[in-house]
Amino acid sequence: MVSVLQTLDSGHEDLIHGAEIDYYGLNLATCSSDNTIKIFDIKNGGQRLKADLKGHAGPVWQITWAHPRFGNILASCSYDRKVILWKETNGEWTKYYEYNNHDSSVNSVSFAPPEYGLILACGSSDGSISILTCNTETGMFDVKKIPNAHTIGCNALSWCPSALPDSTFDQKGKQTNPNNGVAAQIKRFASGGCDNAVKIWKEDGDRWIEEHKLEVHCDWIRDVAWAPSIGLPSTRIASCSQDRRVIIWSTEDFALWTPTILNTFDDVVWNVSWSLTGNVLGVSGGDNKIFLYKENNDGIWSCISEDAENAKDVRHT
Amino acid sequence: MEIEIEEKSPVIRTAEYCMNLEDLQATALSINYTGQYLLLAGRRHLALKNLYDYTEPLKLFNRNSKFEVSCAEFAICNNSSAFCAIATSQLIEVLKWTESSPVLEYSLRAHTRVVTDIDWHSKHPYMLATCSIDTYTHLWDLRDPKRPILSLSAVCMSGATQVGFNRVSGNFIATAHDGDLRIWDIRKGSRPVQYITAHLNRIHGINWSHTEESNLITASQDGSVKFFDINNPRRAERIITTPTPSPVWRARYTPPAFKEGLVTIIVPLVGSESGENSLLLWSNSKNSQSPICSFTGHNDVILDFAYRNDPYRQSNDIEIFTWSRDQTFRVWKLDKELQKLCIQNTIETENGESALEYHQRNSTQPSCSLQHEFSIIFFPSIPGIQKYELDTDKRNAMIRIVANGFIIILQVIFPSGYPFSSPPIFEFCPGTTLDDNLSLKLMKSLKDSSASRVKKGKACLEHCLRALVSDLKKETGGDKAHYLRLQSPRLEGALSKALSDSLIPFPKTSGVRFNATGILVTFARPFTAKRFSLRNQTTTPRALSALSGGYLGNVNGSKPVFYPSKDIDRKSSTGVSICIYDASKLLMVSRELAENYVIIPTNLPRMCRKNREVAEEFGRADLVQTWSIAETIALALASSDFELSDDEMFSSPNPFAKTFLEALINHYAKLGDVQTAAMLCVTFGRYYQEISSRTSSFSTKSNTSQSVSPYHTVTAMDVNSQSVIKYNAWVLAQHLKGQTRSNSWSDSLDDFRINEVNRSVLGESNRNFYDNLKKFYADILYCYNLLPARALILKFVSSPAAFSSTVEFVTECQICKKTSKSPSCLHCKKFLLYCSYCQLPIKGSANSCLSCSHSFHTAHLLEWFENHDVCPVAGCRCPCADNFGMT
Repeated sequence: MVSVLQTLDSGHEDLIHGAEIDYYGLNLATCSSDNTIKIFDIKNGGQRLKADLKGHAGPVWQITWAHPRFGNILASCSYDRKVILWKETNGEWTKYYEYNNHDSSVNSVSFAPPEYGLILACGSSDGSISILTCNTETGMFDVKKIPNAHTIGCNALSWCPSALPDSTFDQKGKQTNPNNGVAAQIKRFASGGCDNAVKIWKEDGDRWIEEHKLEVHCDWIRDVAWAPSIGLPSTRIASCSQDRRVIIWSTEDFALWTPTILNTFDDVVWNVSWSLTGNVLGVSGGDNKIFLYKENNDGIWSCISEDAENAKDVRHT
Repeated sequence: MEIEIEEKSPVIRTAEYCMNLEDLQATALSINYTGQYLLLAGRRHLALKNLYDYTEPLKLFNRNSKFEVSCAEFAICNNSSAFCAIATSQLIEVLKWTESSPVLEYSLRAHTRVVTDIDWHSKHPYMLATCSIDTYTHLWDLRDPKRPILSLSAVCMSGATQVGFNRVSGNFIATAHDGDLRIWDIRKGSRPVQYITAHLNRIHGINWSHTEESNLITASQDGSVKFFDINNPRRAERIITTPTPSPVWRARYTPPAFKEGLVTIIVPLVGSESGENSLLLWSNSKNSQSPICSFTGHNDVILDFAYRNDPYRQSNDIEIFTWSRDQTFRVWKLDKELQKLCIQNTIETENGESALEYHQRNSTQPSCSLQHEFSIIFFPSIPGIQKYELDTDKRNAMIRIVANGFIIILQVIFPSGYPFSSPPIFEFCPGTTLDDNLSLKLMKSLKDSSASRVKKGKACLEHCLRALVSDLKKETGGDKAHYLRLQSPRLEGALSKALSDSLIPFPKTSGVRFNATGILVTFARPFTAKRFSLRNQTTTPRALSALSGGYLGNVNGSKPVFYPSKDIDRKSSTGVSICIYDASKLLMVSRELAENYVIIPTNLPRMCRKNREVAEEFGRADLVQTWSIAETIALALASSDFELSDDEMFSSPNPFAKTFLEALINHYAKLGDVQTAAMLCVTFGRYYQEISSRTSSFSTKSNTSQSVSPYHTVTAMDVNSQSVIKYNAWVLAQHLKGQTRSNSWSDSLDDFRINEVNRSVLGESNRNFYDNLKKFYADILYCYNLLPARALILKFVSSPAAFSSTVEFVTECQICKKTSKSPSCLHCKKFLLYCSYCQLPIKGSANSCLSCSHSFHTAHLLEWFENHDVCPVAGCRCPCADNFGMT
């Protein structure tokens, strides 16, 4: 059963392009075409405006929270080609870092799993992807850029969760090297772009290489989401596209990805978001509707709500 | 010499006349052949201004179209001077201006997409060319307006954005397709005679020379203006680039009456200063690389301009009329002085003197006179200046500046040596609303810039004021006037530098996002906002350019894009746009259960029973059953001598338990119910038992059968660092919650000799999977702020967490000064720590006082400090008990 906790008037002067709740569910950040980002304190059903962040000179497309172990950090990306990291210190939100080495609108930002440190990936319409790694001790940022990651433009990014079982790493190896479990894990992320492809990138030494190119969509990819891993052998990515379809890609060994078409919607699909345990997928698109999909025991996906409004009636077994 | 070039700044001219037409929302401007009328065309009105008599009110003619006017052009022949072509959407209307009102003469329909440009033939009064996004360029003869007399098809993907008739012969037409130029000969028909790859980026303007038949210029997004000779199209004859590489929106030769000139409109980059919203005059000379004159004053992007020859004022001065997005039209003069500069530039290249030096000698020479300096500063042209008082006798000035909500009242005192030896003295007077930090910063930059100007003997007031205002805006951010709005057709393309908006995805206006604790946040476009689709387009467009490329003909003004009009009550339109849902029930992980579940490793049946009761209490009938089964299994296990049975299935008292439990865990994991799966893992998996160090010697009895387990290789030190990590995470979590806890970690080390008791019912093969489940559940507990429960779950994870790279405890050998993590020095083989109590080397668990650095066996430490507070070492008065947290 889904219950409405609260509704919120964002107070933005133009349409909202993103809303994101932080790790603990205490703060809500929204970004809008009016070039601002607002942060609300939503603790205990309240909705107090905590901060109104101005710093972008164009519509802000996306925002994302960093893991709280790094402090209260928010990243935003905008049409003005900038990526800004904001940080809260003593209740004051200030610009922590500004990255402006993209030549066109930056469409997506995504933080890596916290185990890897404070790492942010940014995808831009100039086709490139930037990986910003923060040295938390010095506060300096190291930037790696994947030029021409997607021809025409990169629209979405999502990191592979760090807790994935690594099939190349057998138990014997684990014994001799008990602390390798996390350190030896390969960093990966997925990206989607205007070349209609979802690409899987993997870190190889100090470079990022394209591991896979998944091509089934026949129009621009608008969002990708890597499912959280609870340790099951298979890992999944959801992608949605201008072609009105949502595809779930699954693999067991990172070599062979099997696409499953979740559904073809009435309008373009803009967002996909996995629930915490990866059993529910939220989908939203150009027709202003929100869908929740749930997988049953046999691996069949079914829509459990056409709109989150209606989801109130849906009870789980 | 190079410094000299950098110092060159163009002459600055301000407008002769300025008129604000806020309500007009015009997008196109044109002046008729005789120079009598100025037309401003917009979606709702056509406005005609009589330029012979500025006092005559503006004539307004309503036209309420759904679409913006993309282009309006008066005919440029005397015979047809009453004609005017106006393009809206796909249609071109040719109006004839009569005494009272315009009459629609012809409607030209042939284009299938938005018409982007119109150009009249300069010789044939009835001929005009139009081009469109549909890639076609049509030639029309108004005597036969039913269909174009010639259609030029550019077989390419990109639509035609500009069209221009050759001004000398009228036989050639140039069209722009993105960065490419096509030259057509209208006598030869439908194939281009030349292809010119002019720019790498979109061309915004084409202009043919008035004198040379084969010359034309192109203005482009890439920030350059190129001069081409169509007979030699391989390379540009000359390229001029804008100071900051901002896109050039228009570039036009000055009319024949003003020689050797070129005027450009620059589109300032997003967020740049208002000073860049200016027209620039350049010399046509090949050697001139910087503009000669900058016409400043507009606060926003200039949309279009036109020249006018004023025949009645008996002067040969050309006037320029501009229309800007700031909704004002302004008039500027190209006077003789500028003409001189333009020509001089061409001549002076021979005698090696730059026009600017010449100009500076001639115009700013008398800057020693304060009066003169004041007189040449046109204060209203500096943005933000509200009020000013100048007193030349007392040699001071009071200036009130308002920008971004800050008020500055600035007093400037000019010493007698100004501007040759001493800079003016600046002071912020009472009433200034700057904080100390900001005012210091601004004052410093004022001083710096004035000093550097004065060093060269130049007047500095205007320069400093402009710098002050722009600094203030920069420091305080939020310079609203320059925030980008997606509004003007085509211009938006120019505003993004490298790629046009057609490659930027259409903005998302609805979304859904789960957070880590199972909160679902959704937002959607309010119902009052516009739907984006066209009738013939069933789905939402994919690219941002759809907003400005003509789909939405009525994007207007500086209002937010998506709202139909300002009148809408914002509250109701955005009121319910964000919804926050509690979707945790959907996720099968329940906070209530997490809060109430118990873990009792020593009494499994009781643990299962308790947890069953918890499930019952919160109405989870499905889990009640599971916990009942678990209790049954646990009871069976407890009744057998389990510790010796290890995990060999056949010796297990309940051979089906293992497979059954594994299937159950898999089932819940697949369902996404990490909570139940992890709790089952914890119940029946292996676990550690904490025993104090004194009993540790008994604890290795089951090690013989555990060669597959990594734990017996874990040294005491390793375990310590593991605990440190957990501790760090815990402190961090506490810190994040804004709570503080006293630092008392040493007590956790007291009995940290951990021994594993293997009671695993679950097999080894899936250990990794079970660990992941536990870790994942621990992460969820962390989000719920259930830290003790999280730590408890993590105790059951078999592989140790990663070692902390930041905190590490090492001991330095007293003899060889090398550090070591083991109890003895690897180098000299001596023990590193000796117990201050029993004087024996310490091999096991140790504690060191951080203030007196004396070490103890943990057992001895406990023993001593049970009754004492002070360090047992002779003469040491350190109150160690406090440091160990024993008091």
